[in-house]
Amino acid sequence: MEKLKNFFYHLFIPNEKNNYKAKALHTDFLFIYLIIAVFLTFSFKKINVNNVLGFATDITVQKLFELTNKERQKNNLKSLNYNENLSKAAYEKALDMFSKNYWAHFGPNGETPWDFILKNNYQYEYAGENLAKNFLFSNGVVSAWMNSPSHRENILKKEYTDVGFAVVNGILNGEETTLVVQMFANPLNRNIKTNNYLNENTKTFVKKYNNYDNQKNVVLAQTTNNKNLLNWQIVFNSQILFFIFLIIALILDIYFAEKFGIIRIEGKNIAHFIFIFFILISLLIISKGSII
Amino acid sequence: MKNLFNQIKKEFKKHFFDYLLLITAGVFFLIGLNIFKGERIIEFIILLAFSSFYIIWGIYHHLIKDVFRLKIVIEYILIGFIVLFLLKIILIP
Repeated sequence: MEKLKNFFYHLFIPNEKNNYKAKALHTDFLFIYLIIAVFLTFSFKKINVNNVLGFATDITVQKLFELTNKERQKNNLKSLNYNENLSKAAYEKALDMFSKNYWAHFGPNGETPWDFILKNNYQYEYAGENLAKNFLFSNGVVSAWMNSPSHRENILKKEYTDVGFAVVNGILNGEETTLVVQMFANPLNRNIKTNNYLNENTKTFVKKYNNYDNQKNVVLAQTTNNKNLLNWQIVFNSQILFFIFLIIALILDIYFAEKFGIIRIEGKNIAHFIFIFFILISLLIISKGSII
Repeated sequence: MKNLFNQIKKEFKKHFFDYLLLITAGVFFLIGLNIFKGERIIEFIILLAFSSFYIIWGIYHHLIKDVFRLKIVIEYILIGFIVLFLLKIILIP
């Protein structure tokens, strides 16, 4: 117990043994942190090379389905049924976006979300689509949709009875991307006129890129498979914990240096604190992707 | 605790412009990330810019204070690069 106490004292409190600066903030320790960070970066790179397409996230169809129905239940709406045909339509839509290199509801050649739904033998009365890309977590995706009026409208539309999802990795605009496609619909009652429902306020834009049959942009998309992939929740949380550890070390060092009246020639701990604080907040922003 | 806040307050007053510059850069960094949410490469470029600015800020701050030492520069560079490599894992795996 005494040894542990001395260890933490040496690590966080400036004293004679650590040259009046918290050991956790010494240049040699910072160098060790850097070596670990570089090692982790290249380890992830190597693991990604062994998969067909590397980018892994913590987004699963099951989780998205549960969260969507949870939102509907909160608003006293009936839960949606998971529909294989809509999921196939969502998957084909994702493949289409990768192969033609666009991020929009409508394709560069005029493909509509309804085309994919109809092609998969689903005759709809109402249909809708939500898209998301580059999120890290399922709850981030659904949360972002619910915070956007048009996407929220889709999730909470009482006419929908079925839903399908696709979570697909691929290369879009030259970067590895995880696309999430959510398709809603209800089966057509032949007596009722069909309606397409994509909120008129939803912005759609099509980026046209040349050479989409260039080797670099070839679609190698596959459905996300988390079996052999790393748990991104662990990676993400570990980074947050590390930055919190650094912030605590900095605060303690500033406090005890002032308390003991230590005068040192060193980097500004307050500046380091401000920098790492902003990085910590940025982690929360980075975990969110974009929706359309 | 009171001493800690007084110390921080004293430090801010002494180098008000320098810390204001750093905080402003941080705010622009967060705004940039928010605007380009989901665009991984652009997010990484913004992060690279902020880390570079931080390192340059450290060098400038200690140069004008006349306590410029190689060890201090290395400290800022190490922290900047640690952040870059760690966030690269998430942004461009």
